[in-house]
Amino acid sequence: MNKISNEERKKILESPPIGTWVLMLSVGGGMVAAWLFLYYGVFLSRGMIN
Amino acid sequence: MNDTSAKNLALSHMWVAFAAFIVACFMGEFQVLERSGLFESLTSISVYFASVSTHGVLMAFVLTTFFIMGFGYYTASNSLNVPIWNPKLAWTGFGIALTGVVMAAVPLLSGLASVLYTFYPPVQAHVAFYIGATLLVIGSWVWCVIMIVMFYQWKKDNPGKTVPLAMFATTANALLWLWTSAGVATEVLFQLIPLALGLMDTVDPGLARTLFAWTLHPIVYFWLIPAYTAFYVFVPKQAGSYLFSEEAARMAFIVLVVFALPIGFHHLYMDPEQAKGWKLLHGVGTFIVALPTLVTGFTVIASLEIAGRLRGGKGLFGWIGSLPWSNPMTLAVILSLVMLIFGGFGGIVNASYAMNAMIHNTAWVPGHFHLIFAGTTVIMYFAIAYYLWPILSKKPLASNSLALVQLWTWFIGMSIMTTPWHVLGLLGQPRRISSVQYNNLLTMSWEPYEILMILGGLILLISACLFFYILVKTQFGATTEIFAGEVEYAEPLHEVKDLPEYLNDFKLWNKVIAVLMLISFGVPILQFFFMDTYGSSAWGY
Repeated sequence: MNKISNEERKKILESPPIGTWVLMLSVGGGMVAAWLFLYYGVFLSRGMIN
Repeated sequence: MNDTSAKNLALSHMWVAFAAFIVACFMGEFQVLERSGLFESLTSISVYFASVSTHGVLMAFVLTTFFIMGFGYYTASNSLNVPIWNPKLAWTGFGIALTGVVMAAVPLLSGLASVLYTFYPPVQAHVAFYIGATLLVIGSWVWCVIMIVMFYQWKKDNPGKTVPLAMFATTANALLWLWTSAGVATEVLFQLIPLALGLMDTVDPGLARTLFAWTLHPIVYFWLIPAYTAFYVFVPKQAGSYLFSEEAARMAFIVLVVFALPIGFHHLYMDPEQAKGWKLLHGVGTFIVALPTLVTGFTVIASLEIAGRLRGGKGLFGWIGSLPWSNPMTLAVILSLVMLIFGGFGGIVNASYAMNAMIHNTAWVPGHFHLIFAGTTVIMYFAIAYYLWPILSKKPLASNSLALVQLWTWFIGMSIMTTPWHVLGLLGQPRRISSVQYNNLLTMSWEPYEILMILGGLILLISACLFFYILVKTQFGATTEIFAGEVEYAEPLHEVKDLPEYLNDFKLWNKVIAVLMLISFGVPILQFFFMDTYGSSAWGY
């Protein structure tokens, strides 16, 4: 564990969580893509229930 | 607060919970072995369904309810710094619930309650099962009353002060459970027990399924809230950080409680007794309840990001590697969130009105709920146990490294077991079947997935035994070392000042729930009393 200065600590606590935003958006985007794949690629391609 | 009564209550409840858990894990492994058809000596349809029913009851009703009650008693006393209100009543509730479990176990283990831990007539269990389940619920209601009384007594004694987040979440769960259990309690009291006693010979399954849908979805959030509580109140501190936003946490709990309730009809998408409009309304609500989970994910990950950066992590994702992965709580939350992503996606597919037809009643469904419940939720129960056991037993955790191995093996086993389930669901394998051996090409193509599930189940069983061993060794091991630590709650990044009352109380939200429940369940239930049900009145009398 690295030692950080008080100034760095203050900066970290005041910074927006960029990594979290990117991670959340990536997961959200991945989910949308997976949903679209399942809907158009798997579900609709199976055709009508008969 | 070092309340011995709260500690004893917590330990007793949690031991019942984890004893049920370990028995259920052995049953789970038997089920995947039996179902595969690869071991002829194990093949028994009646034993399989008795085992599935008992496994489900032990995991979904006994592990959860007792764990939640035990965790709740300790959280209430510790976070409010007061003794348990009316410990005698709490022990009475424990006794009632335990009596119920024993009573339900007899028909379950003797094959007289092989109803797959659901309450769907005309499938019918022995009356002792229903009475036992009712006693378990009554015992849990005692816990709810005690939590609510402690919440409001503390507020009365501390006017204008903010209720600690841990207690706010616990009380939210108690209220949720009171609302949630009302549906199945009505069904059991007015339909299933009279039917099982022979007081009536017909029953309306449509009404029964509607009442069970009232309970069936929010019960998942009842199980999940202790995990979310740990996410917010323990994880940031354990990781060396702060809670990113306490207001967001409170709002997430409120939205969870309010919108978990009026959405159960996504379990009835394929049922004929409810009209499409009601199903659509509940379907929209189901997507709304995903929001607090997204908020929770964001808040917890943001708290972890701060922790990683304070430990020297740089760059967009460098903080992930800097997190204290050797801390069981931190490791558990990471693994829990990963499983939540995949389990949550499965849930979104379930809730999608049209696509539900593709995976309805297929193996996809147990794959989904094992990821959300046995994955996301139960791994946090483990982490909470590892955190609380030294405090409750005053002895250090037997082995931190074994705890880490246990968490990893649980995650790996759950991933290996649930992935084939999802694939098999898309391939059309039905759920709730005792055998997959029909000697045709389709079912033979399922075999490799069944073998993978056996492997996953075996890893899970080993992991479960390890968990139990660590708890036993911690509490009853020969060490003379005394553990003097106490619970440490995460502090918010920004001090909570002037919190509006709606984020510190539930009176308003109870009214909102009442209105939403009236809208979403009023007509769907009342309709059964105003239309012919072909040979049966609504209650069957």
